[in-house]
Amino acid sequence: MTTTVPPIKDARPGAGERHPVKKRGGGVSSIGLYFATGICALLFLVPFYLIVRNALSTDVEITGENWKFFPTDIQWGNFTELFDDPTVPFAQSLWNSTVVGVLHTVGTLLVCSLAGYGLARIPYKHANKIFYVVLVTLMVPTAVTFVPSFVLVSSLGWVSSLQGLIVPGLFSGFTCFLFRQYFLGFPKELEEAARVDGLSYWGAYWRIVVPNSLNFFAAIATITFISGWNAFLWPLVIGQDQEAWTVQVALSSYMTNQTVNFHLIFMATLISILPLVLVFLFLQRWLVQGVAQTGIKG
Amino acid sequence: MSAMSNTNWDRRNVLRAAMGLAATGGLAACGGNTGRSGGSGEALVQYFHAYGEAGTEQAIKRYAAAYDKARVTTQWITGTNFESKLFSALLTKNAPDMFEFHPQIQMIKSGQVADLSDIMEPVKDDFNPADIASHTIDGKIWGVRMIDDPQFFYYRKSMLEDAGVEPPTTLDELVEAAAKLTTDKVKGVFLGNSITPVMNPLIWSTGANTLTDKNEIAYHTDEVAAGLKKLRTMFKDGHLLLDAPADWWDPSAITQGLVAIQWCGMWAMPVIQKALGDDVGIIPFPTSADGGKPAVTNGGWSMFVNAKSKNVDLAKEYVKWLWIDQKKYQEDWSLSYGFHIPPRTSLAESATKLKTGLPAEGVKLFNEFGHFDNPAWTQAMIVALESVIADTVRKGGDPEAALDKADKIVNRELKKLFG
Amino acid sequence: MSTTTTRGVAKGRATTETPQVRKRRGVRGRTLNFWLFTGPFLIGLAVFVYIPIGWSAYLSFFEARYTVTPSTFVGFDNFTYMLTNEKFTDSLVTFTVFAAFIVPVTWAFSLGLALMVHRLRFMRAFFRSVFFLPTAVSFVAASLIWKMSIFSGVRFGLANTVLSWFGIENVAWLANPNPPWYWLVIITVRLWLQAGFYMILFLAALQNIPPELYEAAAIDGAKPGWQTFWYITLPQLRATSTAVILLLLVAAYQAFDEFFNLLAKTTWGRPPLVELYYTALGENQDYGAGSAGAMILTVLICCVTMLQGKFMGFGRGEESK
Repeated sequence: MTTTVPPIKDARPGAGERHPVKKRGGGVSSIGLYFATGICALLFLVPFYLIVRNALSTDVEITGENWKFFPTDIQWGNFTELFDDPTVPFAQSLWNSTVVGVLHTVGTLLVCSLAGYGLARIPYKHANKIFYVVLVTLMVPTAVTFVPSFVLVSSLGWVSSLQGLIVPGLFSGFTCFLFRQYFLGFPKELEEAARVDGLSYWGAYWRIVVPNSLNFFAAIATITFISGWNAFLWPLVIGQDQEAWTVQVALSSYMTNQTVNFHLIFMATLISILPLVLVFLFLQRWLVQGVAQTGIKG
Repeated sequence: MSAMSNTNWDRRNVLRAAMGLAATGGLAACGGNTGRSGGSGEALVQYFHAYGEAGTEQAIKRYAAAYDKARVTTQWITGTNFESKLFSALLTKNAPDMFEFHPQIQMIKSGQVADLSDIMEPVKDDFNPADIASHTIDGKIWGVRMIDDPQFFYYRKSMLEDAGVEPPTTLDELVEAAAKLTTDKVKGVFLGNSITPVMNPLIWSTGANTLTDKNEIAYHTDEVAAGLKKLRTMFKDGHLLLDAPADWWDPSAITQGLVAIQWCGMWAMPVIQKALGDDVGIIPFPTSADGGKPAVTNGGWSMFVNAKSKNVDLAKEYVKWLWIDQKKYQEDWSLSYGFHIPPRTSLAESATKLKTGLPAEGVKLFNEFGHFDNPAWTQAMIVALESVIADTVRKGGDPEAALDKADKIVNRELKKLFG
Repeated sequence: MSTTTTRGVAKGRATTETPQVRKRRGVRGRTLNFWLFTGPFLIGLAVFVYIPIGWSAYLSFFEARYTVTPSTFVGFDNFTYMLTNEKFTDSLVTFTVFAAFIVPVTWAFSLGLALMVHRLRFMRAFFRSVFFLPTAVSFVAASLIWKMSIFSGVRFGLANTVLSWFGIENVAWLANPNPPWYWLVIITVRLWLQAGFYMILFLAALQNIPPELYEAAAIDGAKPGWQTFWYITLPQLRATSTAVILLLLVAAYQAFDEFFNLLAKTTWGRPPLVELYYTALGENQDYGAGSAGAMILTVLICCVTMLQGKFMGFGRGEESK
């Protein structure tokens, strides 16, 4: 699994040179280091283990008097049972989450990157004031205003619709802020060369800036997709129709349902986290680089 | 900058294409599909909380499909989110036309529900008088009762016998029984993870009440405070089942053998009987003070019509059709999934499933010890007393102080409602 | 739209007008471009963020129960009610306790993970993946695992199973506030979800520390280990640490999902957002008081953020640019 994931930088700066400094460590401390890291890793994997174990067991084994480390008979049937269950439209909710996640990501990236670039790079005398207008929204927690938001969205007739789930979330002050910070550090020379060649801001943006920032875009895209996929409160309120449920709402419905079917709950959990886990494993290189850049700017 | 090192034509084109695609996709999404696809004006929406019993959702949808004057869609809303989803939806134009809830006066005072007197008056003699009383405010009837749900204790006969315990008849006996029944694998009593379901029964079983007839506080008595301390004893000594994955409304705790005595509802009776056979009995919440008598909570659900609906008359007609005229469906709803007591006297009399054995005992408890909803006891007051349970039984605080705190909230509510 | 602006700028460049005219047209073109880039975002922000905020502010001055289009103006009544409401003030205390725990713990733990992973020579990618992976899991899913499988109070919960091997009785992790085990549940779930993300930030920063610094320190006689860490590594991580702490604080303000899903019907362990959710949407539907609480909270958050910015110098780097 891990071989598909290249390390952050293959040629770690100073990887070779540093050893003289840390030489003292030697074999014993190295074993200690691996031991400590291993213990931490095991603890981090426990929840994943529980999901898989419970998803493939029967309820009787999960709730039995003695702890079973692994199901005696692996219950692959739980998978089909989940999708055959008529009370929760799980397949539909997976599809909704996918659509919402993708459109939410693309939309956010488009709107926020443009705004971030404008704020960072196009001189305008009120740009700073406008930037503060954006910054202020970072301090107002979304849940605080979600009642008026809900009423607003409902008066647009968007309850239980895709646009109701997607559009209000596109205008993220935080993402705009991250893009602005990133573009502040973007090398000016490149753009200036483009401008000399007769490109407008718009042209320079699409031909020079964006293609040279793909890593950053990929990182923000992944983070946005994750937050879109994992969002709970807004989809909970907006998704009145079962047909508009996202996977998190479906999941919480298993938790609050009056009858508790452990194997179904955990099978649902397993399936709900699987796509993101795969995204993580395969896109880790961009993610790691991008996350690193987002955090240390400013 | 590492970002610079990855200029790559292929990737650039892919990204551009993706962005173009997204722009059109976004527009398309804005244009269409609201999930409710308009159609004729003859469409109604109803909200139900998610019943746990298998087949209930299909049943409600089957009844709705049989109605030919309107297309009725059902929102089946999962348990603990029902109130907030209903309340937030009622503010909007996507509000349901009909919804199920409990009779509470604030919904009437704030004009949220429509007057149903005209459909109820002709048949009101066939309803349980207590149900009519709880839905009557200012001389009008505001909701149609669908089901009555008595809540009481189930106990495992075998476990009580093994421990040499008789079914408790007083709160002190319950505390004692809980201690004797607790082993390293089984807890004595399950009162719900939050202990809140037994707040009202505790009040009633001391002989007190939530409010007086004049809508003043009646729960704040020494006996109630003493009762809270007894519950605290069970909690503190570890004789209560806590943090069960399935809460009190689900019979899992008693059927999985986690507990010997569980507070639950009549709805769970078929499942419990199937799992435990004859090894189960029922008792009301035991007497908690001299002069008190055992208590049972007569909960239940009623249909209401949203006063702001665009189709109030049609919605009323549907409610009348299903919950007043279609006795077959009412009987199916009460008896085919979980057990509920039909509020219609005529139906209750003909319900053979409730005539014998344990269900008959349940009906007896319902009639003998049951306390119905008081519409003046609103959600805010319910929550105020839930906080009392949290502060005293779970946190170990002084009952007097906790009740004083609740008094403030309840009085604020009463003042807003009745001046 | 894009073509017209392109042409406009190109023309300005190609023609031989006097510099002054050119400059003025350039300013106008820039203004236009500025709005072209930021316009869609700002319109959306106005509609979906500022209108709700304004609406909330408006509601906070009205008696708004069971309605969001109220008519009874009550002045500052809602504010005085919220400020004297024990539940609300308690929730502020809860938040303070929560932030005082989660921020330093997550900071230290993710830094520790980063230091460990950074020193590994084999299987680095593997361990990094393991620690990073929980970031993919939602709060809903994580709360579910924690509540139903790890910290459930019955005998088949993992924590109680492990305790029973040592002969310790079942613990009611969430129901019983004495001792407050619920904090353990809440802190661990958040730690598990977040630590990997911040570890990555630290890892990147560690790699950016010039190795010459360590060499110079070694020559100066600094002992490797604690001393180098204290005098070289930590100061070099200053910018990242500041950013991490700010991000952690912002995340803590927004804490909702796990409290909402893990604690039911309590009078404790409720951060402000949960309290406001129940005030506005729960039993009371008191949108006036709920909005007033939201306003108070917003003002508090603004003050704290600014203070923190002052103390830790966040944004200082920006001015230098």
